[in-house]
Amino acid sequence: MSESEKEFLHQLNEHQKIIHKVCNLYMQFPEDKEDLFQEVTLQAWKAYHKFRGDSKFSTWLYRVALNTAITFFRKEKQQSFIDSVSEIPDKQVYSDKEHIEEQTRAMYLAIGELSKIDKAIVMLYLEDYSYAEISDIIGITANNIAVKMNRIKGKLREATLKKIETA
Amino acid sequence: MELDELKGQLNQQLLSGFSNKPENKLAELLKGKACSLLCKIKKSILFEIACCIIGIIAFASISIIYHETAIRVYFGVFGVIFIPFIWVLWYLFKKIVAFENLVLPVKNNLKELIDLLSLFAKRYFQFNMALLPVCFFLAMALGYQQKEPIEGLEQMFLKLKGLTHFYSGIIIAYIAVTLIALVYFTKWYIKKLYGNYINQLQQLLAELKE
Repeated sequence: MSESEKEFLHQLNEHQKIIHKVCNLYMQFPEDKEDLFQEVTLQAWKAYHKFRGDSKFSTWLYRVALNTAITFFRKEKQQSFIDSVSEIPDKQVYSDKEHIEEQTRAMYLAIGELSKIDKAIVMLYLEDYSYAEISDIIGITANNIAVKMNRIKGKLREATLKKIETA
Repeated sequence: MELDELKGQLNQQLLSGFSNKPENKLAELLKGKACSLLCKIKKSILFEIACCIIGIIAFASISIIYHETAIRVYFGVFGVIFIPFIWVLWYLFKKIVAFENLVLPVKNNLKELIDLLSLFAKRYFQFNMALLPVCFFLAMALGYQQKEPIEGLEQMFLKLKGLTHFYSGIIIAYIAVTLIALVYFTKWYIKKLYGNYINQLQQLLAELKE
């Protein structure tokens, strides 16, 4: 094993959660998640010799993972995103913890229904990247990211409420 | 409830089912097969280059071995046509490899990928269409020069004697229908292979242009 391969594997091992998150967000089936994980790993390895360390490895890996996930198309299957998370419980008397869990599930489902581009922006936002950093990864201006993020938040608020009401 | 209030929980949800892969498992992944469309196109290009090389050798052998001028010219011309085609395929292959080594922002990546796939589909169509007139005119010219009569055809011509216009009409109609059918079939085939994927990518890019 070459030095470069060792170094890459070490870095990948430290940051593999990033790929896992991207796979979870973009794919519903375990076999598709595995395929995407493999694809991201291979793409990252192919491009690694050009990684100069100008940005953090995690940011660079996010770019590779999102580019791969966005352009990775699979034939539609019957299962929807809703099947990959547990059901929202029926309305009943529940504790604060259960209330937050319900909200989280509903919000997660709503994120799953966003477009591939919006999912990428939300994912980076959840990771606490600044608008400038997100703009760097996505390739549009920070202002545009801010506008998009406001729209996405509105969409998610509405979709989450609907999901809770219909549960 | 707002997105910001659930950041922590959503991050946890995104990590559901996570199990840390050990380094040796990750190393195995590096030896695995990629399944992206670009990898499939790369394989297809390499296969086509191999076919072209075999074709050149086979056609060159035929044009050397056979004595009939028509056969020698026909296969000789197609052997030569494969040479620039190999060059075009190799150029596309190198472009794909160079693209794979780049890590661009999402928008630029989409744009480059669309350009690359469109270029490949365009060149594929152009090459197929360029072959059609060569095939027809070469077959006609060589058939016209054929000195030895072909048994079945000769008898058919005798029956059609005096019906020259009718015969010419049938030939023209045959060529026109075949050409149109081949153009539409090639367009449909390329669209089925790459067109739908390119459309999906264009929709994503349009979202970033808003």
